[in-house]
Amino acid sequence: MEISIEVKNLNKHYGNRIVVNNLNLTVKKGEVFGLLGPNGAGKSTTIDCILGLKSFDNGSVRILGMDPTKERKRLFERVGVQLQSSSYQGNIRIGEICEEMAALYRSPANYDDLLAQFKLDQYQKQPVAKLSGGEKQKLSVLLALIPQPEVLFLDELTTGLDTEARRAVWDVLIDLKEKGLTLFLTSHYMDEVEVLCDRICIINRGHALVTDTVPELIKRSPYQRLEDAYLWVMKEEIAV
Amino acid sequence: MKKFLTLLKIKGKLSLRCIDSIFFGVCMPVGIMILIGLISGQNPTTSDAGTTLIQSSFGALATVGICATAFMSIPLTIADYRDKKILKQFFVTPVSPTMLLWVHSVINMLLSVVSALLIYAVAKTFFSYEMIGSKLTFMGSYLLVMVSMYSLGLLIASLCQTVKTANVVCSIVYFPMLFLSGATIPFEIFPKPLQAVAGFLPLTQGIKLLKSTSLGLETSLLFPLIVLFGSLVIGIILSIRFFRWE
Repeated sequence: MEISIEVKNLNKHYGNRIVVNNLNLTVKKGEVFGLLGPNGAGKSTTIDCILGLKSFDNGSVRILGMDPTKERKRLFERVGVQLQSSSYQGNIRIGEICEEMAALYRSPANYDDLLAQFKLDQYQKQPVAKLSGGEKQKLSVLLALIPQPEVLFLDELTTGLDTEARRAVWDVLIDLKEKGLTLFLTSHYMDEVEVLCDRICIINRGHALVTDTVPELIKRSPYQRLEDAYLWVMKEEIAV
Repeated sequence: MKKFLTLLKIKGKLSLRCIDSIFFGVCMPVGIMILIGLISGQNPTTSDAGTTLIQSSFGALATVGICATAFMSIPLTIADYRDKKILKQFFVTPVSPTMLLWVHSVINMLLSVVSALLIYAVAKTFFSYEMIGSKLTFMGSYLLVMVSMYSLGLLIASLCQTVKTANVVCSIVYFPMLFLSGATIPFEIFPKPLQAVAGFLPLTQGIKLLKSTSLGLETSLLFPLIVLFGSLVIGIILSIRFFRWE
């Protein structure tokens, strides 16, 4: 089985606070992997370390077999990233930000198709600043798809989206998953995780509490739903 | 190269939408040139001088565009990109954020050059201005003043943690540079003590250099050149030393 993302013994601290504590993750090609945990658990920092945006104390990271800091240009031709709460250059319009992103890659996706899929095509000439919160969020996911990525990172992908928009994003992602896309995401919505993720890792205070498939995790808990199982894991951790 | 040009096109459009840099960088100096022309016409600077006020002001007015881009547009945009994590977003693409900074600098250079050319065109067409000194030397000096001021602008961008502090620092630097260096108000009419103080501003030395080259004066330009090259080197070293992507 081909491995898309491999994180070994990742450690990161800020001052005396340990943010990532000896984290090990392996994501196979074509898998949808969810990194879950409460606010401040270290999810975004973990993503930043994996992408080479933040330095880490020790450990190693490989995406598609490459070191993100050393082979940045080659790697990010094949990897799409949506960072949490992205913002944009003032005055830029939707069509322009798409054109700008597309210009950065060797073989970009046709963004007109993506805009239609995400129902943003009627806003092409509108300034990004005028979009609603949910539409901006959809746009940030769309921009991450412009490189036609083999691996996609989505940090809180549907925060602020309405039900319909959430479904539209899920449909696009499920469709891409069937085509072999590897997806690494964080989310606070367990229904979303149940729909999308093959495997999840729940972290708190920087270390992994459990890594398992969604059905296995539910089976291990005394509950039937992922949300209850998640809360059970968190409670167990506090009890420890 | 295609990446660079597409970015340049889009960023160019964005700058044109941002009316303040156009106003302060282009409209204002052209307006002042027209004003000086209307007030003094072909009259010499002083009764015994061989040059007109337009001739002696041209070099100074040509720097207003540099001043607006170097001490407003460049530091504020970089601070804003950093604050909004736009530079961070560029880290996860095949293009480096440095490319973004380059594109931005080129746009500002174009804006300053357009400003200087417009001032020249207005002065020549309406007030029959002729540059006495060599045009080539003037262009070289202009370029030096530009890169030197831009390196100071980059230094502000590197040192200011947030957009708010960048805003304050830019205003503190921009307005004195604009009014005291001789860019807008002729340096010669300042009282002597003020001239002595204003002499410390790097732009004052830049304007001295441009004035001398545009008037073809045979004065020693060693001091202005030292100040400009000094600002350039110090600005670049310190701005790289303190630069943070986020």
